[in-house]
Amino acid sequence: MQELIQQVVSGLASGAIFASLALALVLIYNAMGLVNFAQGEMAMFATFIAFTLIIHGLNYWIAFPLTLGIAFVAGVVIERVVIRPVERAPVLTLVIVTLGLATLVNGAAGFLFGYVPRSFPSPFSVQTINILGAFASFQDLSVIAVCGIVLIAIYLLLQRTTIGLTLRAAAHHPEPSRLLGVRVSWMLALGWGLASAVGAVSGIMVAPILLLEPNMMQTIIIYAFAAAVLGGIESPLGAVVGGLIVGLTVNLAGAYVPFVGGDLELAVALAIIVGVLVIKPNGLFGRAAVRNV
Amino acid sequence: MPSALLELENVHCGYGQTSVLHGVTLSVPEGSIVSLLGANGAGKTTTLRAITGGVHWLGDIRFAGRSLRGRHTEDIVGEGIAHVPEGRGILTELTVDENLRLGAHKRKDRDAVRKDYDRVFEYFPVLNERRWLSASTLSGGEQQMLAVARALLMKPRLMLLDEPSLGLAPLVVRSIFEIIRTINQTDHVAVLLVEQNARLALELSTEAYVLEVGRVAVSGKSAELQGQESVRRSYLGY
Amino acid sequence: MYRQVQQRLRSAPPRYWLVLVLVLFFIGLPTVITSFQASEWTLVLIFAIVIMGLNILVGYSGQISLGHGALMALGAYTSAILIHRYQVDYLVTIPIAGLVTGLIGFLLGIPALRLSALYLALATFALAVVTPSLIKRPAGLTGGVQGILISSPDPPQFAKDAFASVTSGPPMSSDQWMYYLSLISALVLFWLAWNLIRRRPGRALRAIRDREVAAASYGINIAGYKTMAFGISAFYAGIGGSLYGLAIGFVSPDTFPLALSFQLLVGTVVGGLASIAGPLIGGVFTFWLPIVSSQFVGSQSWIPAQIASVFQKAGPAVTYGALLIVVMIFAPNGVAGLIRTGYMRLQARLRGAGDRGTGQMPPDPQTV
Repeated sequence: MQELIQQVVSGLASGAIFASLALALVLIYNAMGLVNFAQGEMAMFATFIAFTLIIHGLNYWIAFPLTLGIAFVAGVVIERVVIRPVERAPVLTLVIVTLGLATLVNGAAGFLFGYVPRSFPSPFSVQTINILGAFASFQDLSVIAVCGIVLIAIYLLLQRTTIGLTLRAAAHHPEPSRLLGVRVSWMLALGWGLASAVGAVSGIMVAPILLLEPNMMQTIIIYAFAAAVLGGIESPLGAVVGGLIVGLTVNLAGAYVPFVGGDLELAVALAIIVGVLVIKPNGLFGRAAVRNV
Repeated sequence: MPSALLELENVHCGYGQTSVLHGVTLSVPEGSIVSLLGANGAGKTTTLRAITGGVHWLGDIRFAGRSLRGRHTEDIVGEGIAHVPEGRGILTELTVDENLRLGAHKRKDRDAVRKDYDRVFEYFPVLNERRWLSASTLSGGEQQMLAVARALLMKPRLMLLDEPSLGLAPLVVRSIFEIIRTINQTDHVAVLLVEQNARLALELSTEAYVLEVGRVAVSGKSAELQGQESVRRSYLGY
Repeated sequence: MYRQVQQRLRSAPPRYWLVLVLVLFFIGLPTVITSFQASEWTLVLIFAIVIMGLNILVGYSGQISLGHGALMALGAYTSAILIHRYQVDYLVTIPIAGLVTGLIGFLLGIPALRLSALYLALATFALAVVTPSLIKRPAGLTGGVQGILISSPDPPQFAKDAFASVTSGPPMSSDQWMYYLSLISALVLFWLAWNLIRRRPGRALRAIRDREVAAASYGINIAGYKTMAFGISAFYAGIGGSLYGLAIGFVSPDTFPLALSFQLLVGTVVGGLASIAGPLIGGVFTFWLPIVSSQFVGSQSWIPAQIASVFQKAGPAVTYGALLIVVMIFAPNGVAGLIRTGYMRLQARLRGAGDRGTGQMPPDPQTV
């Protein structure tokens, strides 16, 4: 029982990380119907920036929000420079552009920071604390807390502020929004900035657990895809719930199902993706999609 | 001679290879209601789209004396033109309240906005009842009310209405038209009304233009057009 | 009869002559380049084969796959296991690999029907990432992490002698033999694809790609054709994979990473979708670009030196990614598309100004 609680908390922590990256994917999908295959690499790059700031002496709790700000700006810039020219292109072109972006960012990270895995400093001790008679890692709980705070902040931003309103309006109904004076094009850039910042959170949270290196996020993004697909790719709430479910499932499967070892956990994610897409493509919270021909 | 609030001069317009407007000239005087009539495909909707920058056009379009050439929709709308498009343009992913908020979101005059909210709910009580529900739950008539309310909240100088009567029961249409008349008189908002229902439009408006295949075929005071049977038969279908 | 042949020859469009020249070029190529260079061109031809199949899927039936590297892996491992464990003759394993992979591809095509383009990209992407792990698991069969070694096939005696006499040099090496094997496969498969596209299946696929609802109302069996397209493209990938394993001499889980799937898709698009010449251009692109990326920018004299040196040091990935983005922005129809548009513009100009309607408006950028 004790071990189960430990695994559950651990699974929720992974889940929180997946949820953050999945939310980033959902934000961009909502804004332009595109899955940003480069989201993971952008998160990784932001994490490297945080790392650089920290080893140059900046306090973690200053470096963290500062990195999010930098990630935000980077997201806006990328949208304006790379995505804007192909905004209306067919899906295939956009997929290739984001994959090209992923390659570019990955290569740039390798060039600037090297491929040697680094250990990322974490402000959370790895001590365990006592919950319900079981030992859960303080680190895991803190990850859940930090991600939770960020996700709540995003929720509040989107639902309770005017700018969140215009963002949502521009994402779902670009043409009528223009007629209401909403600067749709800039809302798109804003969406990218926001997504980039949220994705950065997942990178920074996962770095102390894995080791920081350019290919760090390549498996995380698969889990994030699974989470987004499971939750319904248009639903921010779905991304969060999906993330937690995926985190729990993968963790528990890895711990308790005999032949699922470390490398096959990824296959579990694949099974989730394929399963959901085949059985209920809209996911848990998605709307019934109108068939576009 | 004071220029009209909105002036279109020899406007040509089209989509890709197809040309839809072939030299449209019309004007909307300050504070008036002008109807733009004609059959399907005559170019009425395209005219409105040209005004708010939704299509490329040649010729001249001036609002309050300033040309609208080359300006983005968001800017044009910010000058004081509220455009309720064909199909009403309701943001169905959002609530009724959020739709209304979007109408007012660029305004700085908080008190006036609050007063306008009160007025809007006075005109359309159903919007208050359904304020926190998704806009997709509204009926056609209610959505039209929401569209007009939202436009009113933009505090425009000119309202462009594209076929507000489409798909609505006659009683609902009448009440909406009454409110438009009230808005026009109380707030001095000019209205350019595109309609297929010529009779109702002529009752509401002071002037009218009839488009046929992209050109102004007939124009004049609404009262006169109503009186001319030949005009009514040939162009207005009644 | 002679007259008819003469007429046929004269009326054959210039394209046919171009193809003939190209074929002769490729047949003669190994005689003038080193054996090692021939082995490089072998890989180009293999990629062209896989891209031909991918082109049928993406260009003609409008679906996406980011997982064709995994399908290549399937073909390669099928061949390798048959040769290594069951001592099957390598030549026989090639079509077997194709058929096995084709069947799997066809089965994959069934759930794929329900997915929109984007979801399909996602699902195949995930497949490509997971495949190396899936290969490592049944280590008894697949050799696990170490993979399987395949001995290079020895050219048959007649080929050795023929080559030696034609070049008056050493007899055909096994690399050169692999080259010819790949070339023959490529030609056969090209002929197959060309016929497919010209005939009813090709037209049906294009109808489905462009207007699925309309195609359905014509009674075209959408599901059938789309899964068939998947199966065929997998068949090609399987043959390509099998040849690939033979050409490089071994297969391992890391031989077919995600990057390969991506490069194949990119090669298909950059070569030019729904074009006949595209796959060859794509094959060249897929093989050469990762290699020359770093030198490419430096060699362009119009790029200022500071920028060029940054790209050079940053490595091939950065250049590759940047180049890709630029190409997608400026030439989304790929090289073949560029050529086609250029050709059409030239024709239009030669024909004269043509009709100039009044009030021809530029296309509406804000079309709803």
